Order: sequence, then C-alpha cells, then structure tokens
Amino acid sequence: MTLAQALFLAVLQGVSELFPISSLGHTILVPAVLGWHNIDRTDPTFLAFVVVLHLGTAIALLVFYRDEWIAIVKALVASVARGKLDPANREESIGWRLVVGTIPVGILGVILEAPVRHLFASPAVAAAFLAVNGGIMFLGEYLRRRERTALDRPDIPIEGMSYGQSVLVGLAQSAALLPGISRSGASIVAGLLCDLDHESAARYSFLLATPVILAASLLEIPKLFAPGAHLVAFEAVAGGVLAAIAAYCSVAFLTRYFKNNDLRPFGWYCLIAGTVCFVLARMGVIS
Amino acid sequence: MKVVATLLAFFFLLLGLAYGLGYVNAFTSGAHSHHFTHLVVCWVLALLCLVWARFQGAPARR
Repeated sequence: MTLAQALFLAVLQGVSELFPISSLGHTILVPAVLGWHNIDRTDPTFLAFVVVLHLGTAIALLVFYRDEWIAIVKALVASVARGKLDPANREESIGWRLVVGTIPVGILGVILEAPVRHLFASPAVAAAFLAVNGGIMFLGEYLRRRERTALDRPDIPIEGMSYGQSVLVGLAQSAALLPGISRSGASIVAGLLCDLDHESAARYSFLLATPVILAASLLEIPKLFAPGAHLVAFEAVAGGVLAAIAAYCSVAFLTRYFKNNDLRPFGWYCLIAGTVCFVLARMGVIS
Repeated sequence: MKVVATLLAFFFLLLGLAYGLGYVNAFTSGAHSHHFTHLVVCWVLALLCLVWARFQGAPARR
C-alpha cells in the first residue's frame, strides 16, 4: 500500500463511516474499481492500518459530542449510585437508551462478524447490498411520510423513545455487519420509523455508533502489534489523523444537513453506485 | 428479578472466563484459542446485569 493509497482510504473511511453510504462497502468497492490489487484486506499490516482509522473516527465522534458524552456518563453514574431511574433527567434517559441500543450490536457483532465477513466480502455482494441500502433509505422515507400523513403523529425527542424502540434501532444498526449496508443509514431509518425527526435520528445514530466503533477498535488494538505492522506505522498515524478530521467534518456537515433535509440523495447515490458496481462486477470488469 | 439479574451476571462472568481460557469456542472464528473479544463482551453483559440488579433493589418510584 502506497502513502497516497493510505491517505485516500483514510479520508474514504472517515467520510463513509458517518455518511449513510456504508464504509465497509466502500472499502471493498473503491479499491476494486480503482484496480488497487496490491491491497490485501486480510494482510495483518492492512488490518492494523484499519484499526487506527476506526480509532480516529471514534475519537472524532467523541470530540464532536464531548459535552453531551460528559453529561451522559455523569448522569449514568449518578443513576447507578442512586439505584433508581429518573425519567425527568434528559441525559440519563438518553444514556440508558444508548446502553440498551448498544447491546444487540455488541452481541451480534461478536457472533456474526467473522462468518459474515467471510461469506459476503466480495465486490459483487457489496455492490448488491449497497443498492439495497439505497432502497432501505427510500423505503424509510416513504413509510415515515405515509405514517405522518395518515396518523398525524408528532415527532418525539430521543428521550421519548421506549426502551423497546431503542433495541430496535440497535438491531437495525447490526445490519451494517453486511458490507454495503450503512450503520448510520439503517439506524437513522429505524429512528425515523420510531417517530424521531431527521435531526434527532441522525444525532442518536452518531451517539449510538460512538461506543460501538470505539469498542471495536480498542478490542482490535492487539493487531497493531502484529508482525510487520510497524512497516505501516507512518501511514497508519497519518491515516488515523486524516480519518479523524474527515469524520469530524462529516458529522459537523450531517448534523446541519439533517436539520432541513432527508435521506433521499444518499439513497439515489447508493442505488446508482451499487447498481453500476454490481453490473461491472458481474461483467468481470472489477474483481 | 434481582435474583435473576444476579444469576445472569454470574453466568456471563463464568462464560466470559470460559471463552478467555479457551474452554468454549461457540460463535468464534477459530477453535481452541483464547477469545479475548468474547471475554470482554460477556463481562460487559455481566456488569450490565449487576446494574440491572442494582435497579431492582431500590424501592419503586411513586
């Protein structure tokens, strides 16, 4: 892997992890489209590089939502010390919903990540799931509009969600184990169907993603000490910093974007890019 | 419910230990090795069960 490739992949990871377009799908498809056959996704040095990119993304999310995380952690610790819930405390309510929503992806990730990666990590499959990801976003927007028109239900804040709904959003996030399905896309759609507005659904999705990405990268830290990993040390550090900057800019943009816009532009992108890549993969142009 | 939560915490603690020592290989990619990730996830679940038990111990809110 060259330095230019490393830096490109770092920006790609930082952006695609938070935009609802699937980072895993893009890290499979983009090198295939560009003909970067020198990149071996199973190589220990590449895995070490990817760990640093994820760590950079998680740190960017933590920094962006630092005030909120400090308040949430304080509220959670206080409620455990007290031994009872205070539904009137907004931070505590959001915090416990994040804990409950993180459990499904934690369990399913540990059980399913390796077999799913083994079965589906090919450009054709990733492209097909990317198109499906676009379809999920269109379906989510359609169902939300239909519900709002037919039932005239008001939007609720994050702390207004039930714990069952939090688990559902967490389960939706687990769909991102499939390459091409976006973590943020699936959880934003699930949030919309739980009557959150776009801004709240996106914020809850990013808050929910933070512990998952952070824990996943921390658990993979031993890979940084794999034989030969020091050979990509500079690329990894530069890539990690770049991924963090890209992720911070992405989350700053998306939190503004979702104040007045919806998921459909990302749906179109995923549908078109997924279909084109799938056709190219089936024709043998990319592999 | 407090008893159930405590028993579940104990179960996850032991399960995590068994994964960590390599005695259990279910839902893992490689057999007969130390499964650090599974150990951590099981112990986090055990911790959450203890938190659940703690909430069960408090008097109900009115």
